[in-house]
Amino acid sequence: MSLAALESRDTRPLAQAWPGIVAWVAGWIALFAADGRIDLANQAMLLVLACAVASPWLPEWASLATNAAAVLAFNWAFVPPRGTFTIDLREHALLLAAMLVVNAIVTALMSALRRQAALARRHAGYAEQLRAWGDTLRDTSDARAQVGALHEALRELGGGSAAVLALEDAMPADNDERAVLTVGDVHGDRGAALWHCLRQGQPIGPGTGRYEDLEDLYLPLRGRGACLGAAVIPEASGLRATDLRAHAQALCDALGLALQRAAARRDEQRSREQAQAQGVRNALLAAISHDYRTPLATIMGAASSLDEQAERLSVEQRRRLAHTIVEETALLGRMTDNTLQLARLDAPGVSLTCDWESAEEIVGTALRHARRPDDTARRVKARLEPDLPLLWCDALLVGQLLDNLVDNALKYSPPQSPIEIDVRRKDACVVLAVRDQGPGVAPAWRERVFEVFQRGAEPMSDAVAAPALASARPGAGVGLAVCRAIARAHGGELRLLPRPHGGCSFEFELPLRPVPAASAEAPGAS
Amino acid sequence: MSLRVLLVEDDRELRDTLRGALVVEGYEVLTAASLSEGLAITIHARRASAAAEDLGVDLVLLDLGLPDGDGETLLAALRRRHPIPVLVISARQAEGRKIRLLDAGADDYLVKPFAIGELLARMRVALRHRGTTVNPAHTQYRRDAVLVDLAAQRVLRGGVPVHLTPTEFNLLARLVRSAGQVVTHRQLLADVWGADFVEHTHYLRLYMGQLRAKLEADPAEPVLLLTEPGVGYRLAEPDE
Repeated sequence: MSLAALESRDTRPLAQAWPGIVAWVAGWIALFAADGRIDLANQAMLLVLACAVASPWLPEWASLATNAAAVLAFNWAFVPPRGTFTIDLREHALLLAAMLVVNAIVTALMSALRRQAALARRHAGYAEQLRAWGDTLRDTSDARAQVGALHEALRELGGGSAAVLALEDAMPADNDERAVLTVGDVHGDRGAALWHCLRQGQPIGPGTGRYEDLEDLYLPLRGRGACLGAAVIPEASGLRATDLRAHAQALCDALGLALQRAAARRDEQRSREQAQAQGVRNALLAAISHDYRTPLATIMGAASSLDEQAERLSVEQRRRLAHTIVEETALLGRMTDNTLQLARLDAPGVSLTCDWESAEEIVGTALRHARRPDDTARRVKARLEPDLPLLWCDALLVGQLLDNLVDNALKYSPPQSPIEIDVRRKDACVVLAVRDQGPGVAPAWRERVFEVFQRGAEPMSDAVAAPALASARPGAGVGLAVCRAIARAHGGELRLLPRPHGGCSFEFELPLRPVPAASAEAPGAS
Repeated sequence: MSLRVLLVEDDRELRDTLRGALVVEGYEVLTAASLSEGLAITIHARRASAAAEDLGVDLVLLDLGLPDGDGETLLAALRRRHPIPVLVISARQAEGRKIRLLDAGADDYLVKPFAIGELLARMRVALRHRGTTVNPAHTQYRRDAVLVDLAAQRVLRGGVPVHLTPTEFNLLARLVRSAGQVVTHRQLLADVWGADFVEHTHYLRLYMGQLRAKLEADPAEPVLLLTEPGVGYRLAEPDE
């Protein structure tokens, strides 16, 4: 049963009063039928009975009017002298007066009872709605759905023109509509009043003692010690007003609390993420500054030696020191590139500068970088499957990935042992692999080498591989982490696989895309 | 008379170091710490004896991270009066701006940090190419076993003629005309295929692959047709 139907019970229309009218008619028929067989006092009792039976069905005013009319008619019809309103016996006057009073009392009692029943029904309806509302709030976590549900409930309660406005996050400095969720008409004066109510955290409008001249009633959505929104319902008149306001306020407050809980959860989540990001940033900074210290110390040593001892050093010694500075600076440069790239790829919404690239060119560039003047053994070799398709990728990034993997392999495999860059097709991917014949990586570490701060410093269960690795991976952290970030930014993956006869194979799987149609000769090339 | 270099660089340490190194090599160096200063110098540096179109500067080294804006304005102002060589010095992150400047006609680029040897080599190439827009400096290119003769439209490798398709030849010719300097993807595509094809990088990859297969000893490790990732291609400097 809807609340609106409940509300209408205590103002029952006359159309529903027919059982009362029947009771009166029956009473009068009985009176005439009994006339002459019973005495006047008993006839009067019949009339009182008819009144008592009819009054529950009639509105209070109708009941009182009928009652008065009935007593007058009884006087006219039955009290001697009949046919007149005059009363000749004092007993008869007393009888009529008693009838009038008793009928009035019966009517008053009946309507008081009816009012209380209606009130109880209304309260039960409110309680039921509150309970259902609590369920709704518990079941929906989406603020927009909750606000919509409150709007629905208020409309049911007070009519069509209800509206709700709820804060999405913190209270804005001005009445900025982008900071709130709204349902219903919240424009013009209503909007201003809703914002005022939200900022004051108190109900305003008729019956609240504040802004009594407003047409509608504005209620805050209160949380604990804060206000998270406001709602408006049309003013209710009469006895129901106070009751209705209290109930609507209870609905609003339930939503206020729910919104506040959601906000608290959001805040908690945010601060947890912030703390986490802060932790990652700190660890990254610590790792980076640790990695920078070694080349910096070398540069400092060489440069200060040139600065302070120049005249005592031989030409050859000076040349060697200067060369050291150049080498270490190049290393620092590569580390800086890696760190910057990692930071860039970590940022949300990173965009790559992709183009059609040839695997041969990318590998060729990596080979050129790997060749050093002292690399007489030409340790790094490339093997490309013939007829490889063009790759859709960011050439600089994939180049950086290969450079890092080759650097890593050169650093951690025995001098003179070969390193191989191998490119081949595999299903819908091209695999770019860098393979060395170094000591390999313990199984437990095959994933962890890609984490920024893992550099083999912790004790490991694999005792054989541990010493080799522990000393063997300084500075690998940022390098391999950026490689994996680059692979993933391309929608691919970078994995470390063991090789059957020792050593590692880092394999970058890059998904292929259909290459646009191959070109004819350039126009006008003939 | 020694060659004059205008160095536009806002970092004092780097400016002083580069100036020292260039002076040792026999260049006369003018320095500017900002674009506006650089512009002012090019206006006032005119040598007394020089002709009207002579800027008084033979080469500009232009840093990209200047406080008062993009290098494009300076490049455009310089180029309006004289085809003076401009080398762009850029940080690693300034890819986009670097390529814009190269497309707009800057001669070459260096990425910080760079070695002095690299800088001097790039400057030598740029100075050799002075005025090539009117008068190509190289009609013959020779390096290792490869000889390209643009006038005769002939390519030899180890004395044996190499057959190139017309597009392959045009592409090679464009690189020969800028031998030793980077040529951006866009420039190559516009000059060889036409202005409508500047986005068709895959054409370029295909034809460069074919050229390498015909000219390089080991196409996987080229020594002539070098790749500048994300920027373009560079034909190695010819043998002296």
